Amino acid sequence: MQTFTMVLEEIWTSLFMWFFYALIPCLLTDEVAILPAPQNLSVLSTNMKHLLMWSPVIVPGETVYYSVEYQGEYESLYASHIWIPSSWCSLTEGPECDVTDDITATVPYNLRVRATLGSQTSAWSILKHPFNRNSTILTPPGMEITKDGFHLVIELDDLGPQFEFLVAYWRREPGAEEHVKMVRSGGIPVHLETMEPGAAYCVKAQAFVKAIGRYSAFSQTECVEVQGEAIPLVLALFAFVGFMLILVVVPLFVWKMGRLLQYSCCPVVVLPDTLKITNSPQKLISCRREEVDACATAVMSPEELLRAWIS
Amino acid sequence: MCTKGAFPHRSACSLPLTCVYTYIVCVPVLWGSVPWGMKLHCVSLWLLGTILMLCSVDNHGLRRCLISTDMHHIEESFQEIKRAIQAKDTFPNVTILSTLETLQIIKPLDVCCVTKNLLAFYVDRVFKDHQEPNPKILRKISSIANSFLYMQKTLRQCQEQRQCHCRQEATNVTRVIHDNYDQLEVRSAAIKSLGELDIFLAWIAKNHEVTSSA
Repeated sequence: MQTFTMVLEEIWTSLFMWFFYALIPCLLTDEVAILPAPQNLSVLSTNMKHLLMWSPVIVPGETVYYSVEYQGEYESLYASHIWIPSSWCSLTEGPECDVTDDITATVPYNLRVRATLGSQTSAWSILKHPFNRNSTILTPPGMEITKDGFHLVIELDDLGPQFEFLVAYWRREPGAEEHVKMVRSGGIPVHLETMEPGAAYCVKAQAFVKAIGRYSAFSQTECVEVQGEAIPLVLALFAFVGFMLILVVVPLFVWKMGRLLQYSCCPVVVLPDTLKITNSPQKLISCRREEVDACATAVMSPEELLRAWIS
Repeated sequence: MCTKGAFPHRSACSLPLTCVYTYIVCVPVLWGSVPWGMKLHCVSLWLLGTILMLCSVDNHGLRRCLISTDMHHIEESFQEIKRAIQAKDTFPNVTILSTLETLQIIKPLDVCCVTKNLLAFYVDRVFKDHQEPNPKILRKISSIANSFLYMQKTLRQCQEQRQCHCRQEATNVTRVIHDNYDQLEVRSAAIKSLGELDIFLAWIAKNHEVTSSA
């Protein structure tokens, strides 16, 4: 009887212990790995802007924060325990991180992310294939072609200090030579050529990133045309003729007016004494003919002359 | 009649017209009419010209090895931490890269070897021996270290096409720098070498014709 009880007790203890040990993993998992690590890490890189993205960790009613760390090829070879916190994503909300300022050399970089919720942190999730910035997608640059009078001016999109641009332009006529100009940075209008009137000019551009030694594709060709100079030439001719006429006519007119004014308002010419009329006109008329003849033929003495004159 | 560079010629009245190439006939005749003294002079000048051309092509090629490196960014990164690094230097009167300043006399033939050795010096010794606690400075040092790694790769590709012989002078220069480094305690030596990065960067820019895109 006692043996039977003892055996039952042993079986009961074993069952209890077995049940307890079976429960331990469930209890443990409940405490530690509640927060899953972010999945599906990928990098989208366009025009040297690198964006690390992942699937968000959903916890209903809670905001999950993420931390990003990176490791260059140098660290992975010589100091594999060193991971550097990302410049902008120490505790970020969205399921993405701009790692452009972290990826500063053209070598493969390892990237890792983990989720944080209050005091809980998930395991690190590492990017499957290290990211090298020379795999960035380079798009053809946006450009604006303008005419400033006869000047062909181009303004390219500002893509940052790492970008230079190769601009090709030519006259749209058979056998025309293609010119190439290097533009060091975008966002500034640059003069390409002084156009000849009546001709069409075409322009296309491509971006170049010196740090990775790669070119983008060429942008769509854009052409502009300059109107011929015929009409303005005629106008200029008329203007010149008119000017010459004015140059001749105006002094002539001024001189003529001067003369008119001179004769109409300036003082009259003074008569000499001999032509002045001091006596009345009757006396002049009554001067007889004989006296006039006598005066004319005889040579009189001064007294006789005086007497004749007085009478 | 005849193609360009040839003229019709009849050797004798009975023979038909044949096409004679100018360079086959005229050049040897002209050369034969030149006096011996002038011939020697011409040949020596030609030899000198060829040697000079080969040398310049060779050097020019090596000098353009690091042309695609973004030196401006590396210099900028260093400028931001220069003061902090140099402030930690406990032996201001000693220099490790001193030989570089006086080594404006490094010949063009030695530039490739010295660059290769000094890059390896920094990557294999200096950056490894320095433990940086400040995350901001660590970020910049990491940027420079990874850029040096890229430069080593670029230089190696360049060397595959052109030879990068290490002559005795170049090896001596490298050995002196390593000896200077070994004379100091490791941490001090590493900090001092980091502080002298501007000397090394300026030397690279000058000798590899790298234009910084400012």
